[in-house]
Amino acid sequence: MSEISLKPAGTPTGKPAGDRPASHGIGFLTNNLRQYGMLLSLFVIMAFFQVVTDGTLLRPLNLTNLALQNSYIVIMALGMLMVIVSGHIDLSVGSVAGFIGALAAVLIVQYNIPFIPAAIICLVAGGLIGAAQGYWVAYFKVPSFIVTLAGMLVFKGAMLAILGGQSVGPFPVTFQRLSSGFIPELIGDGTGLRQTSVLIGVVVGLALVWLNMKARARQQSHGIETEPSGFFIAKNVIVFGVITWFSWLIASYRGLPNVLVIMLGLIGLYAFITNRTIIGRQIYAIGGNRNAAKLSGIRTERLTFFTFVNMGVLAALAGLVFAARLNTATPKAGLGFELDVIAACFIGGASAYGGVGQVTGAVIGAFIMGVMNNGMSIVGIGIDYQQVIKGLVLLGAVCIDVYNQKR
Amino acid sequence: MQPPPADTASSASVAPGPVAVLEARGIVKRFGHVEALRGVDFEAHAGEVTALIGDNGAGKSTLVKILSGVYQATAGNILLDGCNVTFNSPSDAHALGIETVYQDLSVAPDLTPSANMFMGRELVLPGLLGKFGFLDNARMRRESAEAFQRLKVSLKDIDMPIASLSGGQRQSVAICRSIMWAKQVVFMDEPTAALGVVQTRRTLELVRRICDTGVAVVLISHNMRDVLEVADTIEVLRLGRRIARLRNNNISIQDLVGAMTGALDSTADEQVTA
Repeated sequence: MSEISLKPAGTPTGKPAGDRPASHGIGFLTNNLRQYGMLLSLFVIMAFFQVVTDGTLLRPLNLTNLALQNSYIVIMALGMLMVIVSGHIDLSVGSVAGFIGALAAVLIVQYNIPFIPAAIICLVAGGLIGAAQGYWVAYFKVPSFIVTLAGMLVFKGAMLAILGGQSVGPFPVTFQRLSSGFIPELIGDGTGLRQTSVLIGVVVGLALVWLNMKARARQQSHGIETEPSGFFIAKNVIVFGVITWFSWLIASYRGLPNVLVIMLGLIGLYAFITNRTIIGRQIYAIGGNRNAAKLSGIRTERLTFFTFVNMGVLAALAGLVFAARLNTATPKAGLGFELDVIAACFIGGASAYGGVGQVTGAVIGAFIMGVMNNGMSIVGIGIDYQQVIKGLVLLGAVCIDVYNQKR
Repeated sequence: MQPPPADTASSASVAPGPVAVLEARGIVKRFGHVEALRGVDFEAHAGEVTALIGDNGAGKSTLVKILSGVYQATAGNILLDGCNVTFNSPSDAHALGIETVYQDLSVAPDLTPSANMFMGRELVLPGLLGKFGFLDNARMRRESAEAFQRLKVSLKDIDMPIASLSGGQRQSVAICRSIMWAKQVVFMDEPTAALGVVQTRRTLELVRRICDTGVAVVLISHNMRDVLEVADTIEVLRLGRRIARLRNNNISIQDLVGAMTGALDSTADEQVTA
């Protein structure tokens, strides 16, 4: 079927792609500023700190650290995005992550349970915690703010209780590898440049470019407006270049960290779930108009419940990663994580009213926060002013978003 | 899963049959001690616009919610094509081809028109991928575009979120969705309440076109002028009872107001004992 006949009569959009004014360079960029704005701001912030720190930011060691430091925030941001899109909030994730880290320490260090079963128990426990909170939110209609505020207190207390107020550690090496391990080297001797990591970077870069090209071809065949070809090529060259360059940098330290692989896998999985599956689509529908979603037969309670269970599992995973990174479960673990996670989602373009937000946006938001933390620390800005600046960036990002929506 | 055929030429001639598509008999609904409906009768015929009017508190919205499965009746029967049916949820009514367009724009503003058209009934890819819930966006988009074209609804951009459309266009999407799925009856609860003059006109034209496809349309409205313009039959509710069923010929707004308020009971062409 030709694309023209698909268009309702009388609309100008029936013309072939490329004929429309919006498809040309500048016009296209301004129309899609919101989408690319976040990525651009991340690049600008990175470039700024790269200059200010005399090139320390992108040193292989620091880049690896940047990935490790932010992995647990990114992992939780994936779940938080779905919670926020469905019109809720989860304030308990920091406490849950801390509690699960403590649980892992008790199981592994004090009861000598091997890593794999202990990790499974922890993830299931996270899911149960999410289910317990989601039940009140979804079926009892208690506002999520209150349920998870209660959860925050409960699990912070529970963590202190099972740790007995003390740090528990260290973990066995197998568990530490979750966070501080690197992927095994298949090519080469495991010194110098880690070729496997470079290769993975190149493959991932090529795969992304291929997916973009496929999506573009599909859109064009349906007569959907696409970006101008020059812009498309430039974008893909940059995407491929940046990924290859970063994997090169990381490879010249110790290769890809295990947790980065887990994180990238989860980002891909959740981007896919939110954009291409029924569950994702219906979560956006619930956040956009709860009554309409319910009346059109969507099982809103069950889906809301699911988003909280999912959040619980991801918070548990983040708790394990964080505990493995510190190599000990401390009573302060997870303190304030929820704020970083929620800020990442909002900086990344999620709407506080629900219905709006993208996984990629939340990930970029998390890295904007992460790069700022890292850069400001290298420059030597005190923790006091770091908080002030981060707060202002959050406010600014949301203000820009609100302004854009009003236009 | 297929939308109703676009065969408007043959179905336009469908005469209202002796049996109503949807009929309600003696519907009673109590909310605690409040009796919202006290034995309402109601009928809707295929290819006709039936207007449901009444003063505030007459029970119009309650009746519609019962007939579309949102509320359950305390007593009384609902008949679809002459057979007894019960609706425990809106999904039950949907399954039998009964759709409702609500007053408060029943769309999700951040989704595209096609995502809204298939909200709650998303199409999945064939085969194994579909089992995992992978959406078939291309097919949903194509079928939505066909539905818009069939009902002559023109949208500015079919790939932008609905929030970027005007109120009238959003309402058109909500109405098109109902039509796409309704095999039997479409309820429209004040579809023009939030719209301007031009948009109201377009929506009323849309109502006529829908009814020409052979579906029974039930229009709930406070606007007597709209009602007289599009309705074939007018059912008047007062205090939880149907007090009149009027054919729309030579009726004036005064007649309708009289029937609604009980001032002019004798003007009804055919009166139904309550």
